[in-house]
Amino acid sequence: MISIAMATNRSAQRPNGAPQTKVCQFKLVLLGESAVGKSSLVLRFVKGQFHEYQESTIGAAFLTQTLCLDDTTVKFEIWDTAGQERYHSLAPMYYRGAQAAIVVYDITNQDTFGRAKNWVKELQRQASPSIVIALAGNKSDLAAKRMVEFEEAQAYADENGLLFMETSAKTAMNVNDIFLAIANKLPKSEVSTGGAGTRVLNDADAPRASSCCK
Amino acid sequence: MNHEEIKAVVQEKFLSSEKVTAFLCDAKVLHPDWVKKERLLAIVEYGDEKAVFCLFTSCYPPKSFTDLSVEIVLPVDNTFKCEIDNKPSDPEAILYLNLQSRNNKFKFEIQMTPRVDNFVDDLFRGIEAVNKLQLQPEFLWLKKYNGKNEDDILAHTMVAPRGGVTHMQNSAPVAIRESLIKRKMSDKENDYTFTKKFTVFCGTWNVNDKSPVIPLKGWLSVDKEPPDIYAIGFQELDLSKETFLFDQTAREDEWYNAVLNYVDRRAKYVKVEKVRLVGMLLIVLIKEKHFSHVRNVICDTVGTGIMGKMGNKGGVSIRLDLHNTSICFVNSHLAAHVEEYERRNQDFRDICNRTRFIQTNQQPKGIKDHDHIYWLGDLNYRITELDPQTVRKLVSENNFLPVLERDQLKQQHKNGYVFSGYTEGPITFKPTYKYDPGTDNWDSSEKNRAPAWCDRIFWKGNNIMQLAYRSHPPLNISDHKPVSAIFVSEIKIIDEEKYRKVYEEVIKQLDKLENELIPQVKVDITDIDFGTVKYLELQVRTITIKNTGKLPVEFEFIKKLDEASFCKEWLIVEPYKKCICADETCEIQLKVLINKTSACKMNAGIDKLYDILVLHLYGGKDIFITVNGTYERSCFGCSIEVLVNLNKPVREIPVGKLIELESKRDQCISNHSTYSIPKEIWFLVDHIYLHGLKEPNLFEQPGLHSEVLQIRDWLDTGSIDPIPGSIHSVAEALLLLLESTADPIIPYNLQSVCLRASANYLQCKQIIMELPEFRKNVFLYLCEFLQEALQHSAENGLDSKTLSTLFGAIFLRDNPNVIQEPQSRINKQVIDKKKAHFVYHFLTNDHSDLIFAR
Ligand SMILES: Nc1nc2c(ncn2[C@@H]2O[C@H](COP(=O)(O)OP(=O)(O)OP(=O)(O)O)[C@@H](O)[C@H]2O)c(=O)[nH]1
Ligand SMILES: [Mg+2]
Repeated sequence: MISIAMATNRSAQRPNGAPQTKVCQFKLVLLGESAVGKSSLVLRFVKGQFHEYQESTIGAAFLTQTLCLDDTTVKFEIWDTAGQERYHSLAPMYYRGAQAAIVVYDITNQDTFGRAKNWVKELQRQASPSIVIALAGNKSDLAAKRMVEFEEAQAYADENGLLFMETSAKTAMNVNDIFLAIANKLPKSEVSTGGAGTRVLNDADAPRASSCCK
Repeated sequence: MNHEEIKAVVQEKFLSSEKVTAFLCDAKVLHPDWVKKERLLAIVEYGDEKAVFCLFTSCYPPKSFTDLSVEIVLPVDNTFKCEIDNKPSDPEAILYLNLQSRNNKFKFEIQMTPRVDNFVDDLFRGIEAVNKLQLQPEFLWLKKYNGKNEDDILAHTMVAPRGGVTHMQNSAPVAIRESLIKRKMSDKENDYTFTKKFTVFCGTWNVNDKSPVIPLKGWLSVDKEPPDIYAIGFQELDLSKETFLFDQTAREDEWYNAVLNYVDRRAKYVKVEKVRLVGMLLIVLIKEKHFSHVRNVICDTVGTGIMGKMGNKGGVSIRLDLHNTSICFVNSHLAAHVEEYERRNQDFRDICNRTRFIQTNQQPKGIKDHDHIYWLGDLNYRITELDPQTVRKLVSENNFLPVLERDQLKQQHKNGYVFSGYTEGPITFKPTYKYDPGTDNWDSSEKNRAPAWCDRIFWKGNNIMQLAYRSHPPLNISDHKPVSAIFVSEIKIIDEEKYRKVYEEVIKQLDKLENELIPQVKVDITDIDFGTVKYLELQVRTITIKNTGKLPVEFEFIKKLDEASFCKEWLIVEPYKKCICADETCEIQLKVLINKTSACKMNAGIDKLYDILVLHLYGGKDIFITVNGTYERSCFGCSIEVLVNLNKPVREIPVGKLIELESKRDQCISNHSTYSIPKEIWFLVDHIYLHGLKEPNLFEQPGLHSEVLQIRDWLDTGSIDPIPGSIHSVAEALLLLLESTADPIIPYNLQSVCLRASANYLQCKQIIMELPEFRKNVFLYLCEFLQEALQHSAENGLDSKTLSTLFGAIFLRDNPNVIQEPQSRINKQVIDKKKAHFVYHFLTNDHSDLIFAR
C-alpha cells in the first residue's frame, strides 16, 4: 500500500532524540572578595582539582568549560577576577557583556557576605539587565566556623532573584550544580552569543546601544 | 554594501594589529581541484610584514566576518612573485593574477576594475619593500592562519574571539567549534553506531516518450521481500519540444503514479523526494516505518545538453541522511551516438562537479561526499569494433563475454576514465537497447543499430552488496528495456546512550585542548614600587614576561574602561605590545618621569604616583601590574601664589597643606602672604646677581643636569649650605623653575592681549600694572635683574634681543590645555617675535616708575 507523505518541514526534523551539536556560548564572570574561593571554584569546575594554597589572582584569569545539557551544549567562557579591593575599579571590564555572574562569599566570614551584596547591587546597576546572577556561599565544608546562616543568604537571594547554593571547592559540593543551574537558566535562543557576528573592539567603538550593554 | 563596508567586514576577520590594506571581491581562484568559485583576495599588513590572503566567503558579499574562512595564505617575502597576464582580446577585460610564494602557486581570474590597480600597486609596494630588507621577516603572526591541523584551527579561534578590550564574544568560534565537534564525532562513528541491513531497489528505464500504458509490477515488484528503499529513474519521459524548452510535462505525474501503483504492495511506502529535469525523472521512496529517520533531503539537477546547459542530457540527484548514513542517488542520461564515449565521460565529470546540495549553515555537499552512492541511468555507452550482426549472433547464443569486452563503458571504467571508485555488478542480461517498441526484436529500422547495454547501475561505498542485476524484457513499450538492481546496504544507526558518552568525551577533549592552548605567561613582578620619585629624575624598572605556553603570545597593555590611554602620562611603557614565541622572554621597561605638567597635578593632589596597568594576552587572561611610588614634592610645579605663601622649604610643608593651598590658590591673592616674590626665585636670582653677572655665555650655556637636581634639592630642603653647582646650572634651574609654575607669570587669558599690545610700550606697561600683585612683582623683579645683567654684556655676552626672546617664551607660555590650531611655522614665528617684543620694552626702558607705583 502507498500513502503519500505529507509535506513536512524537514529542517525541523531530528533523528529521534539524538543529541545535537548546537553550541551556545556564554561569558561568565566570578566576583567576590579576595580569598573567598573564586579561583578554587573555577579550578574545581574545569580541572577537578583543589589547591590548599591557591595563589591570589592578580588580573583576570580565563578558562573555558562546556556542559552538555539535554538539548544543547553550553560553553562557558569563564573570567575569574581578582578580588582584592584595589582592583575593584577594573571589574566592569569583565562583567560588561557577561551573560552570567557568580558572586562568591565565604560562609565563615560575614564581611564577605556584605561585600557580595554590594557586588550584586553593582551588577544590577551596571551589568546587562538580562544577566543571570548566582550567589555562592563557599567553603561549606567549614560549617563549624559558619558566620553566615544559610537561611539569611537564601532569603536575600530570593528577594533579589538570584540562584543560590552553598558550595565547597574543597569537597566539590554543588560546584558543578551551580554552573549547571546557570546553564539551565540562560536563554538558549538561536543567537545566544550576545549579538552574534558583531565584535566590539573596545568601548569607544561600542556605543551603549549594543544589546550587551546596559 | 559598498567597498568600505565590505572592507570593514574583512578587517574583522583579522586582529586589530593586522591591517587589511587592499582587497578584491570578485577574484576567482583557478585550481584543478576546485570549482572555479568566487573568492576574496586581501592584502594584510602586520608591522612591515605583508601577506596575501585568499578567503572563501559563504555568502556574497560577506555580511559578517563569520562568513569568511581563510583558504590560502601567501606571505610576501623574497620568494614572492606576482605576474599579470591579460587577454587583450577579451571584451570583458579579464586579468589573470599569478601569485607565487614559497613554492605555492595560484592563479586567480580577476575582473578588471579600478580597484585592481590599487590592489596590484599595494602588492608591488610590498614586494619592493621586502626585497630591500637585509633580514627576511619571520611572519610569526601568520602561524595561526596557516595551520591545517586541529590545534592550529583551535588556536586561531582562540585568538580571534577575545581580541577586544571588553572581551565580547561572537559566534565565529562557536561555528568552528560546532564543525570540529562534527568532525570528531564522525571520526568516532564506530564507537556509537551499529549497523542494520537495508535493501535498496534501483531501477532505470528510458521510456522513449511513452506513457505508462502497461503494468510495472514485473519490474518493480518481483523479489521475495519488499525493499526498504526504491530509487527509480526514467529518461526520455517526454521528447516534445515544450518539455525541452519549458521543462513542463504531464508525464511526470503519469509515471510517478504508475510507480506508486506498482511498487511492492506488501509494504507501505512514502515519498522521500522526486526530481525531474526535462525527460529525466528520479523518484525515491522509503518504507513508511523508516521515514522518521530520514533527514536533510536535498535534490539538484545538472544539464549537460546543448551549450552544456540544456536538460535534454545530464543528471538529476537526490541525497538524504538515513539514520547516520548519507546516501546519494543519481539518475543520468549521458550523450548519445556510438562514437561519443568521451563526451559521455565528460558528462559524467560535469555532473559530478556541478551537482551541489546546498544546505543552510553548512558547506555545500557534492555527490562524492556521501557514504553510499547509487548511480543509474541511460549512460548510452555502446559496443564498438563489432558489427551489429556479430553482436546479435553472440547475444542470441547468450555468449555475452566477447561482447562485453567491447563495451565502451567497461573499457572506459577499467581505464579509470569514468566512474572511478564505483563498482558495477556482472552483466548477465541481454543488451537493453535497441528494440522495436512493443516487441523483443532488435531494431529493424534502416539504421540497424548494434545492440548495446545503454542502461546501467553503478554504486560506490562500503558495505554494499548487490543481490541482483537484471533487465525486464516483458516491459516492451520502449526501445529500451528497464533494468533493476537489488542491494543490501549496511546503514549506521546511532546508539543514543553511546552517542552521548562519546559526545561528552569529545567535548571534554576539546575543552582540555582549548584550555591548554590559552596563552600562558609568567610575569616576574606585578607590583612595581618606584620608591621616591623626584622632579625631572627619570627612573626605570624592568619586568620580564616569559611565554610558558605552547604558542606564540601577543600581549598588549590595554586601556581600562573610560580611559583615554592605557597608562598615566608620567609613565612610559616600552614595548607596550609585542609577540613572544613559546619559551622566549620579553623585557618591558617602565619609566617614570615627572615633568612640569604631572608635577603640578601631583602638587595639587589631582594625581598621584599610582596606576594599575592591564596586560592583556590575546586569546587569554589579563594581568594587572600595579605601579606605585612616592613623589618628592618640590617647588617646581607649584604655583606662584602658593610659593609666596610658603615660609618654609617645600619639603617641610605637610602634604595635605600643600594640596590645600594649591587647590585654593585662586583665593590667596591676598596681601598677607609671607613674601612679595617666591623665595626660591629670589635665591636663584640673588645668587646670579652676586656671583654670575659677569659669567660669559650667561643663560646661553646649559648647566649640568645633575647640578640642576642638586639645586632643586637645595631649594626644596632649605639647606643652609651655599647653593651647589655652577652659575650656568643655577641659571638653568631658574629658567626651569619659571617654566614649571602651574600658570605662567602672565596668565594665559592675557596672552592674546599682550601680543596685540606688543608694539606699544605704554599699553604693555598698562597690562603689567594690572597684573595680580605677585605676578607683577616677579615680572618686574626679573626684568630689573635682566637689565642689570645687560649692563655687563661686555663680559657675559648677553644682548637684549636674545634675552627678550628667551624670557618672552617663559613669561608668555602657551596654554598646553588649549588645542592650538595647527600653526603654520610662519605664524608661530610671528607670535614668538611678538612675545619677545613685549619683553624687550621692559629690558630696554627704565620702568622704575612702575616699581614706585606700588
Ligand atoms: N576549606 C575550604 N577552603 C577553600 C575553599 N575554597 C577555597 N579555599 C581556600 O581559600 C583560599 C583562597 O581561595 P582562592 O580560590 O584563591 O580565592 P579567590 O576568591 O580566588 O581570591 P582572589 O584571587 O584573591 O580574589 C585558598 O587557600 C583556598 O585553598 C573551600 O571550599 N573550602
Ligand atoms: Mg583568585
